Amino acid sequence: MLARSIISWKDIDKVIIVCVLLLVTIGLMAIYSTTSSPASSEAIRHSFAKQVIWFLAGAMIASAVVLTPVQYLKGMAYSLYGLCVVLLILVLFAGGGKGVHRWFILGPVHFQPAEPTKIAALLALARYLSDERRDLRSFKDIGICFAMVLVPTVLILKEPDLGTAIVMASLLLPVLFWAGLSPFIVFLVVSPILTVISAFNVYTFGAAMLLIIGVLVLSKRKLPVLLAVLMLNVSVGALTPSLWNRLKDYQKTRILTFIGLQQDPRGTGYQVAQSQVAIGSGGFWGKGWTRGTQAKLRFLPEQHTDFIFSVVGEELGFWGVTLVLVTFFVLLWRALGIAVSAKNKFLTLMVVGCVTLIGVHVIVNTGMTVGIMPVTGIPLPFLSYGGSSLWTNMTLVGLILNAGVRRFQY
Amino acid sequence: MELSLEAKRRLFTGGLAFLFLILLGRFAYVQLFRGEQFLEEANKNRVRVIEVDPPRGLIRDRFGEVLVENSPAYAVYAMPGEIRNSPQAYEIISAALHTTPAEIKQYIARNKRGNFVPVKIGRQIDFAAFSLLNERRLELTGVDFRTESRRTYDHGVKAPHLFGYLSEISDAELSLFGDNYSPGDLIGKKGVERQYESVMRGVKGHRFVEVDALGRVIRDLTEEDGERFRSNPPEPGKDVLLGLDASLQRMLEAELTGKNGGAVVLNCKNGDVLALVSKPDFDPELFSRTLTPEIWNRLLNDPNKPLYDRMVQSVYPPGSTFKMITAIAGLETGLINPNETVFCPGYYVFGGRTFECHKKGGHGTVNLLGALEQSCNVYFYRMGFRVGLEHWSDYAARFGFGKVTGIDLSEENAGLLPTVAYLDRRYGKDRWSKGMMLNLAIGQGDLLVTPLQMAVFAMTIANEGHSFKPRLRRSVLDPFTGTEEFVEPDTVEVKGIRPETWALVKRGMFLVVNGSRGTAVRSRVEGLVSAGKTGTAQNPHGEPHGWFIGFAPFDDPQVAFCVFIENGGSGSGAAAPVARKILSFLLENKKLTPQLEADEAAD
Repeated sequence: MLARSIISWKDIDKVIIVCVLLLVTIGLMAIYSTTSSPASSEAIRHSFAKQVIWFLAGAMIASAVVLTPVQYLKGMAYSLYGLCVVLLILVLFAGGGKGVHRWFILGPVHFQPAEPTKIAALLALARYLSDERRDLRSFKDIGICFAMVLVPTVLILKEPDLGTAIVMASLLLPVLFWAGLSPFIVFLVVSPILTVISAFNVYTFGAAMLLIIGVLVLSKRKLPVLLAVLMLNVSVGALTPSLWNRLKDYQKTRILTFIGLQQDPRGTGYQVAQSQVAIGSGGFWGKGWTRGTQAKLRFLPEQHTDFIFSVVGEELGFWGVTLVLVTFFVLLWRALGIAVSAKNKFLTLMVVGCVTLIGVHVIVNTGMTVGIMPVTGIPLPFLSYGGSSLWTNMTLVGLILNAGVRRFQY
Repeated sequence: MELSLEAKRRLFTGGLAFLFLILLGRFAYVQLFRGEQFLEEANKNRVRVIEVDPPRGLIRDRFGEVLVENSPAYAVYAMPGEIRNSPQAYEIISAALHTTPAEIKQYIARNKRGNFVPVKIGRQIDFAAFSLLNERRLELTGVDFRTESRRTYDHGVKAPHLFGYLSEISDAELSLFGDNYSPGDLIGKKGVERQYESVMRGVKGHRFVEVDALGRVIRDLTEEDGERFRSNPPEPGKDVLLGLDASLQRMLEAELTGKNGGAVVLNCKNGDVLALVSKPDFDPELFSRTLTPEIWNRLLNDPNKPLYDRMVQSVYPPGSTFKMITAIAGLETGLINPNETVFCPGYYVFGGRTFECHKKGGHGTVNLLGALEQSCNVYFYRMGFRVGLEHWSDYAARFGFGKVTGIDLSEENAGLLPTVAYLDRRYGKDRWSKGMMLNLAIGQGDLLVTPLQMAVFAMTIANEGHSFKPRLRRSVLDPFTGTEEFVEPDTVEVKGIRPETWALVKRGMFLVVNGSRGTAVRSRVEGLVSAGKTGTAQNPHGEPHGWFIGFAPFDDPQVAFCVFIENGGSGSGAAAPVARKILSFLLENKKLTPQLEADEAAD
């Protein structure tokens, strides 16, 4: 009754709901297709039904999130964040798995604390930055924001789960920027990342340095600032090799394979190669639903989870791929509209966080299936099989819709 | 410099749009620009070509009777990528295939062409082995069976030397004619199977199947999956019809069982081999199953050498059957006057050495015909010495001695025809005695021939020089269309011999069989006039070898033959009776048009 008095159906962004329903439907179709193969294992055969149930549960979660008053969301942000960090620490000691510590295994339920951490971190960040007293020119306030994101990122890297860590870290800059951080500071943070990526090759490194100098000159900063930033980047570039050596072998392999320096036909390279074969062989119209040979005959690894988009590409072809990407774009574009119109700073930052999380997932995941992003093992929102991923994303949509119906509240 | 929310939104939307466009561009590149190529890749992944072996052509006799045919058998295959994980499987398989786990492992490693390409580890396994493996199939991951065909010889004709056998293709053969063969395929190794491999083999067919990522076959692809997946059936091999008369061959195989030696019967009209028996032989079925090392070693080390085709591969001194060459050389050079007589006291002294005649008391006074009829050595010692080595070897060479006959069997032996050049080479110039010619004149000494050469020799005399290259294959039959392609016989002319000479020599051979003192009376058959010549070849290793060559009927020769019995004692005692069997069999079965009046020819 409380809810009805606050929100009305006409305030709900129906376009976003349609987008989600469309994406989930395509996902279910693709999952069904992978289960219809005679070569499917027993476990996979049940995944379609399970995914339907998880979606129904996810829809209820999203509805509940929509109905939750902003004050509650904002109020529980820090404690939820704290709880998640504690769980992330615990999972490193008590988590199951061989060599990895990502899940709490409670009977048949595998709970991955990194999933709610993403939401908790974005809520905490939004709450922290929505406080009027924050000054984004203050090192202390920015430092706290960095710490809020980097603490769980490091813990997740420890599990190790490079993909989720990347997603986690990606939250920081868009939200800070939206909150009013100077673009120059954003550039200061981004440039070392560019440096690290380019440090593997003399020419790309030189090009990156020229680009950085160009931006610095154009920004009309004083010479000492300019030199300091440049020094920072050069030293980051120089440090990269020693940081590189601290990576786990499989992480190195993934990165090397990604940038094309290592052939790895059996491992990650094999997955990407088979995924590209699947997508490419779909052509414009695709091979038809449930008629993808790469997926059905299981040449495609992890086809119903991380590589579900390859199934879409193979069976529905380029038009199916375009449909999915356009749908995602529409969803994110509508969400950004809500972010702009929301009067409440917490809500607007929250939505930008949601957009970032979904957007990074989509770009990294789909890019990975065609070999232009590293294989980091992150799912495609709404399409990939898996309850925790689906619930996380349904929650994010719930948060976006929640902000939408309350955008005129202060 | 604080941006408005609207500006930030434009920046975000623009950034997002930029990234999505890069993604879409990449998808467009992969799906539209390189789609065909990736489709090819996807097909390469899922499509396997399965070779379908053609049914091998049969071997039939001259009347079309099937002598060698195919019957179904099982082959065992192992998938290298799957069998690796189950060590107990090796135990079971090696027990069933009578080998060791190490050998199977080695074999798989050597013949592996990919983890999911099956390797044939056992072929033509017997039913017991098949049941044993089939019962424990659950334990045998990655092991599979396929039917294949096996050569069977259920028609009473063994002739293993003639038919030859099939065996797994060697690496050398594979690189030589690789296109139509794959490792593990069978190929003709000896005899007709080898000679007519290209005729009987046929052309492999193909079938396309879809496999999953583990290489398991999911289904057969058909034309509906695309034109290029249309399977093409194998082209069956053609049947080879031999000139062989199966009934004669059967009879002779039975007749010669237990003996060392054999017989060759040729059709005088075209050189067809009507029968070719070499004993002892072996069961060709041994080679159509997996040949174990024990069996192979037993065959190889058998002192009676059953693997040898004595008729084609082995060489012996021909003995008196060669006297016709001495006679022909003498008559043609004018050095022998057929009416000139020689007195045979039973020995001949030359250069301080005594050369014996086989008749201790001597033959008395003999002319050429008498010397042939009674096989008088003394006569031929003297005439041979007169003719001399050069003339003698010249005429022997005209009859093809010292060379292969060119029969369609590999590994034919050429024998040895001593010439002046040869003896100079062997003993040193002028280091060999003229007395050597005496031995050669009666078919002894360094001279070596194959029984097949002697049969051809008999055919050449019968036809008075118009001879044929002996041959096994008579025609090729396409089992589908039923068309039979006959092969023209290769004629061989022995030139420079006058009709009078032929008549005299044939007359002499007539007397050998039909004369009152002839040495081959035991070859005589009621109602058929034949001619021939016995030979008893001295053999330093034991009893003399018995020879008999001949032809029949005398006035219009239809068959020529050579019977050879190793260590048989004498030609008249051991070989002539076999010839009699041959002739009476042919006569009784109306395979010869008999010449009834013996006296007509005698005059």
